[in-house]
Amino acid sequence: MGRPTLDGFQVIADTSRREILQMLSKESMTINTIAGNFDMSRPAVSKHIKILYGAGFISIQDIGRERHCMLKQDGFNKVKEWINFFDKFWLTKLKNLESILNSKSKKTK
Amino acid sequence: MRERIYHQFFYDHSPETVWEYLTKAELISQWLMPNDFLPIVGHDFRFTIRAMPEMDFDGIVYCKIVELIPFKRLSYSWKLGPGGGKIAIDSLVSWTLIPKDGGTELTLDHTGVKEMEYFNMFSALNKGWEANMKKIGELIHTSTHGTPNT
Repeated sequence: MGRPTLDGFQVIADTSRREILQMLSKESMTINTIAGNFDMSRPAVSKHIKILYGAGFISIQDIGRERHCMLKQDGFNKVKEWINFFDKFWLTKLKNLESILNSKSKKTK
Repeated sequence: MRERIYHQFFYDHSPETVWEYLTKAELISQWLMPNDFLPIVGHDFRFTIRAMPEMDFDGIVYCKIVELIPFKRLSYSWKLGPGGGKIAIDSLVSWTLIPKDGGTELTLDHTGVKEMEYFNMFSALNKGWEANMKKIGELIHTSTHGTPNT
């Protein structure tokens, strides 16, 4: 049996992995640069990277000889959809309010 | 990334009138959605819309009033998710009313629209995340092994 797959919460329950995500939220980094920020060995860092990659939190791209890690954007796209949705939603509702208020004032005036 | 929705409308009606349409359940439902709003700070209420399974949304918006200054300002939390008590979006809706030119300038500020699981982990390092993790751990433990003391 291979390594058990960790769920999202188990993945981010680890302090080092959260720190890695925190770093990557600012910019993409090579595995070496990430390892340089930790006291632990490079293989230990690699193991965390592998877990983050396996859980879909980051993507890894080979550029030249370096492996670049970056945050995966998939999880963020739904947020954009929600923002667009609410933007239109509120606009429609605020116009509703306008027509209701205006029809009300016609009746009372 | 933008995570804020902002709209400003002018209504040719007094802040008192506009306020009524923001704080009376029956009037709110005329222009917004069916709800059980009560103008009390701390009051939990809900809006019901159509469910959108493709967006992991069960059609219920869970709200709690956090600020209420009559005729001036109203804020409530705005939470939604796929159902079963799971919250995917935890945001805040704030209304500001300003008397202007014999009417009311109404501002809507909807902030914090972000998906919890992905965003919280970045800010959480500074916000007692350890405590949250422990709580989540306990919840997972409870759901796996049954409720303690029963």
